[in-house]
Amino acid sequence: MSYSTFNQEQTNPLAEPMFFGNSVNVARYDQQKHSIFEKLIEKQISFFWRPEEVDVSRDRVDFNKLTASEKHVFISNLKYQTLLDSIQGRSPNIALLPIVSLPELETWIETWSFFETIHSRSYTHILRNLFSDPSEIFEDIVINDQIKLRANDISRYYDDLIFYTQLWQTHGEGKITVDGEEHNVTRRELKKKLFLCINSVNALEAIRFYVSFACTFAFAERELMEGNAKIIRLIARDENVHLTSTQHMINLWQDGEDDPEMAEIAEELADEAYEIFMTAVKQEKQWAHYLFKDGSMIGLNESMLCQYVEYIANLRMQAIGYDAPFPEQRSNPLPWMNKYLVSDNVQVAPQEAEISSYLVGQIDSSVDASDLGDFDL
Amino acid sequence: MTAKLFKVKVNGQHELTVDASEGTLLDALEKHQLEVHYHCKSGFCGACRSKLKSGSVRYLTDPLAYVRKGDFLPCCCVPESDLDIEH
Repeated sequence: MSYSTFNQEQTNPLAEPMFFGNSVNVARYDQQKHSIFEKLIEKQISFFWRPEEVDVSRDRVDFNKLTASEKHVFISNLKYQTLLDSIQGRSPNIALLPIVSLPELETWIETWSFFETIHSRSYTHILRNLFSDPSEIFEDIVINDQIKLRANDISRYYDDLIFYTQLWQTHGEGKITVDGEEHNVTRRELKKKLFLCINSVNALEAIRFYVSFACTFAFAERELMEGNAKIIRLIARDENVHLTSTQHMINLWQDGEDDPEMAEIAEELADEAYEIFMTAVKQEKQWAHYLFKDGSMIGLNESMLCQYVEYIANLRMQAIGYDAPFPEQRSNPLPWMNKYLVSDNVQVAPQEAEISSYLVGQIDSSVDASDLGDFDL
Repeated sequence: MTAKLFKVKVNGQHELTVDASEGTLLDALEKHQLEVHYHCKSGFCGACRSKLKSGSVRYLTDPLAYVRKGDFLPCCCVPESDLDIEH
């Protein structure tokens, strides 16, 4: 079952499941099994942006005025965002491309990962501006216990799927012993690992990112670190699209619209998937505690951030067919978040004094006959 | 544009009159000062996902977010009839 970069078997991609069918061959999009992924690609590409286009130079002055506890919140948050995008910039490619069976989904995965690499590059852009040498910040990401705890939970489902896929591709199905440990590799087992992995990624895109966005925008609400907020706004808009893609995958499986075996697995592992999500919720609350250990900041504290985690968890769980886990937290404790998450053509926060008309990839292509009324031939 | 007025019942408690020729249903909820849930307001994130208990809506832009059976996205649609929704 080794991977071929161009599967020479004649296949019908319209009859393939999203994953673990025949591997892809011709990258064609004239026909699509799940056209949503092509639409998401178009949407995502229309959002193209480059970190260097956003001026973050004023942030350095703001940063130096922050209190020590505020600096801790700001920098820890940025480290966490760096970790999330370090993982997301590579993992969908490594874990999902070897097993994908639909060309439109394959290209979506590549597009998705590519945009995460833009996010990673933007953290360097932000940090370079704040510190002459940001090495210490980056180096701490792999030694900071609080961050490592999260990294471990985020990457392990990916790693497990990647390892089993490698075993399957080199040995095929069956019992395989590696370093004295026996692994039972079956297609169903692989599909289970895929299901859990996508649920873990969904929790990351749905909850973890939003906790970090809340911290960024809380500074912007006080007119601090606005260059950074402008970048994170663009990142948040992208993450909204990524989240939609993982929600689509999960819902398509649950509804049996893709692979009947995945519909069975979705039912079989519903509780485990729920636990993955709730563990992410718990960890994010612990993270909120760590962020505000030295004191809160105006507009945001540990308990508000925890309430936001619960509020957003309700929305996200309902999106994939679960009941709201926190029925008492129906209202949004941070209503100002929404104005930063709105995706309209105006890409600057409304309270900013200096409006730089930062428009990228926004083309108005609608032409009415009356637009040509002045032409004489 | 002439007004197209519909009655919209929200969460079983509020009864609003919504003009389908003016903005989206979410705009209308906001205008009536109800607490609204949303992120992108463009139909691709799904954060405004609500339950359509009765009535029908017309999408101004096709939603990209997954819309489960019985759900709809008020940020990119207008009423086509009187509605009963949970938001």
